[in-house]
Amino acid sequence: MVRQKNPLRHRVIREIFGDLGKYATIFIMMVAMIGLASGYLIAVDSMQKGYAEGFSLYNIEDGNFTVANKLTDDQIDEIEKSGNTIYPIFFKDVEMEDHHTLRMMVERKNVNQIILDEGKMPTRMNEVAIDRNFADNNQLKIGDHLSSNQYDYEIVGLVSFSDYSAMFSSNKDSMFDAILFSVAVVSEESYEAEKAKEIYRYAWQYESKAKDEAEEKKWADEFVSTVRKNSELEEYVPQYLNQAIFFAGDDLQSDSSMIHLFLYIMLLIMAFVTSLTTADTIVKEAGVIGTLRASGYTKWELFIHYLSPLLLVIFVACIVGNLLGYTYLKDVMRNLYYNSYSFPNYPTLINMEAFLETTIAPVIIMIVVSVIVLMRKLSISPLQFLRHDLSRKKNHFAMKLAHSISFFFRYRLRVIFQNIPHYFMLFIGLLLANILLLFGLSLPYTIDHYEETIAEDLLATKQYILSIPANINLEAESMEEKMALMEFMQGIETETEGAEKFTLYQLKTHNAVKEENVLVYGVQEESEYIDQKIPYGKIYVSTACANKFRAEVGNEIELKEQYEDKVYTFKIDGIYPYNSSVAIFMNQEYANEVFDLGEEYFSAYFSDEEIKDIDEQYIASEIDAESLTKVTRQLNVSFGGFMRALRIATFVIFFTMMYLLTKIIIEKNSQSISMVKILGYTTQDIQKLYLRATSIVTIVEMLICLPIANSVNRWMIEDYMSARMTGYLPYHAPSNLFVRMFLTGMIAYIVVAILEMVKIYRIPKTDALKNVE
Amino acid sequence: MFLEVKDIHKSYGEKDNRIEVLKGISLSIDKGEFCVLLGPSGSGKSTLLNILGGIDEADSGTIEILGKQMTMLKEKELTQYRRNHLGYVFQMYNLIPNLTVRENIEVGAYLSKKPLDIDHLLVLLGLEEHQDKLPRQLSGGQQQRTSIGRAIIKNPDILLCDEPTGALDYKTSKEILKLIEDINREYGNTIIMVTHNAAIKEMADVVVRLRDGMIRDIVRNVEKKKAEDLEW
Repeated sequence: MVRQKNPLRHRVIREIFGDLGKYATIFIMMVAMIGLASGYLIAVDSMQKGYAEGFSLYNIEDGNFTVANKLTDDQIDEIEKSGNTIYPIFFKDVEMEDHHTLRMMVERKNVNQIILDEGKMPTRMNEVAIDRNFADNNQLKIGDHLSSNQYDYEIVGLVSFSDYSAMFSSNKDSMFDAILFSVAVVSEESYEAEKAKEIYRYAWQYESKAKDEAEEKKWADEFVSTVRKNSELEEYVPQYLNQAIFFAGDDLQSDSSMIHLFLYIMLLIMAFVTSLTTADTIVKEAGVIGTLRASGYTKWELFIHYLSPLLLVIFVACIVGNLLGYTYLKDVMRNLYYNSYSFPNYPTLINMEAFLETTIAPVIIMIVVSVIVLMRKLSISPLQFLRHDLSRKKNHFAMKLAHSISFFFRYRLRVIFQNIPHYFMLFIGLLLANILLLFGLSLPYTIDHYEETIAEDLLATKQYILSIPANINLEAESMEEKMALMEFMQGIETETEGAEKFTLYQLKTHNAVKEENVLVYGVQEESEYIDQKIPYGKIYVSTACANKFRAEVGNEIELKEQYEDKVYTFKIDGIYPYNSSVAIFMNQEYANEVFDLGEEYFSAYFSDEEIKDIDEQYIASEIDAESLTKVTRQLNVSFGGFMRALRIATFVIFFTMMYLLTKIIIEKNSQSISMVKILGYTTQDIQKLYLRATSIVTIVEMLICLPIANSVNRWMIEDYMSARMTGYLPYHAPSNLFVRMFLTGMIAYIVVAILEMVKIYRIPKTDALKNVE
Repeated sequence: MFLEVKDIHKSYGEKDNRIEVLKGISLSIDKGEFCVLLGPSGSGKSTLLNILGGIDEADSGTIEILGKQMTMLKEKELTQYRRNHLGYVFQMYNLIPNLTVRENIEVGAYLSKKPLDIDHLLVLLGLEEHQDKLPRQLSGGQQQRTSIGRAIIKNPDILLCDEPTGALDYKTSKEILKLIEDINREYGNTIIMVTHNAAIKEMADVVVRLRDGMIRDIVRNVEKKKAEDLEW
């Protein structure tokens, strides 16, 4: 005889539609989590792989140098004797109408290739192909026109430059500018015709690839001395220092840690929701389970049955989430980057790791949690199910409540006592949702506050960091070199009032989670700019440094040279209040000695006045409020879209969690509610008894959650994020933020309460007639 | 003997709150007999039924069914025992709300290797026309019929009925009792019914009267009344 299929299977779909609120919540949360996380990971992974492959695919340079005059064939031959190949990558910075600057060049065939995304490459006079991102940011399309002071250009193509994924017009800039600066290709005819100054820049490539940064640094140093000997060198930038090439790749890398954090919190929430809803199902189905068990259904059969609706919802949510992730959301996430960076259109790659993290892991966690809850819940006897006695505790004692307390108040207390496990779970749910919501809300505040702090916290109005021009050889041998060196030494002296010399040296962290640059300030003992006398041999760390590395006075900090293995161990003697950078402060004389720089050495100036008497070529960069805050402005741009998406996602989670948990509490009490209805209580009375108890608990729990969420967020931003990003971001959440959060929570709860009021109103009186012994 | 119960004791609660609900129950029932456990509220009849049904445990004593000691069975074996030998009918039906009448009965059929013919049973139960309705669309009597159908479709050796007419009106109660009587006659199952309705004793083969956890008397009816002739 053919074995009959389990008739309970008919219930699976009906169970889902019968409790649509619950399953829809799980479905929405799963789809949101999988869709957002997988969309993000797929987009970032595709971009990262495409970006990494681009280095060989588009033959990206190993470095570039700029010379005052075009190299002759003989000079090129001399330089190429080093074994390295050089390619001209000349350009002209053309001022356009609307104050844009377009860096124009002709198409490159051999190095730093240009990728045509749309249209065609310019072949005729007055044709231009512009960067795709620049076109997007300025609402330009093929067929539109751009005008320089001299010519009118028709846009014939949209391109991406393999060596300009981030639009740094100069490598000295602290932040790129994707709005006002861009790169473009024109025909040779147009290029020749443009009158702007031509910059003679050459890209070089080594014969083979360096095995690490230290070797690359060595090769670059050797190469630059060859170039210096054979040309009038103005600037050189090895690949590993070229921000236009590396900035975007580094950003992709650091943002991944954020999405992983989001994913882990979501996983926790999902596990928690699953356990709660599964337990709730068993409570609601107690009578059915008791009957089926009494009839001879095995635990296993019921286990499979009660797992099935959840499995089905998870399965469909996985499919929908991944479909959304691979289609719409991938593009949304990708555009967060395509609005800032000039990446070519990378193909979407199937990402098994993302699938594992966003789909397989949550599914396994949810199934495991459900299995544990079901196993535990189903282990009680059929009789207990029939009696709706699902508690494992044998002894039940009613807590004594004074008779002087009003009846309604006592009743509400009883409701609270009865639902303590549910309210505890509501607390956990609210806490997790609050953490996410606060994260989404506080990060922009943190970034803004950081910006304000930087402005207030400047060591000096300006710090001028000096650079040794490429044509200066510190170990000058020839007379010409000695003259140049002398000229340089005189050129870096200033008459500016208040300007103070100091030594700026850069080290790296040693044995840290993420290798981090640490600035060493060697300052004068009686410095006008550092409000702390730092005697010879004493080490102070900036607050940012102390916070980031959890360092205290008396601890030791290990730092190493940028490109060498030499490690320095410094004992911390004090903490200097400075949040803008991860830095250590020491006496200048001591710094010069420790780093073997020579007694008279200095490499920067503090000054509250603008220094005008130092040639620009000797100034590598200026650190001021604007340059430091460029980073935060860009952080706002980079994270802005992500934070908005996170805020919306967390609000949905926040709302659905409250809805789900309140719904469970009301449903759990539906029989009692029905009974008091029969006794003659009005819906308002019942709301006072049941909903108000939940309202009181929700308000109290929200208030408790806020400081905890605050501490957790402080940890997430200051420890977790800061450990994975460069610099240190001190957490900041103003008190009005918590008022907003509380009100947001309450608004969500009011909506939930209204829904539950309707539910209470609809609970039939017949529920009370169910057989509960 | 088909079912042999010897010296069953059962109590609930601990120490001072301990209440002995069964105080040494012994009885025996033949195959195919219709046994009524009669007694007032708190006499222990439902507890005895639950112990016979393997969903509650006796503190001491033995139960032997078809020569097999039930009190020695482990949980898994008890489930198999219920699956293979028992049908349960409850006072409040306990139907699965989102399954139709037919599907609710199939829930019982699934447990049996040789279930009865469902279409025939639906006719017998008078539910043929209602088979595609959900429980909430049915009257109390129809719901109880469905519940009986679910219990009987696997053709159990023993049908345990816990106050099956307790929630029904007079007329419907008699219809349900007639149905149980018909089933007993047609399929020859042993039926043990808990009730506090003394009138029902007259349709039984054996009447076990309980009071305060003890058997007051066991009466074997020489002549049984038909369900339709009962009056109360």
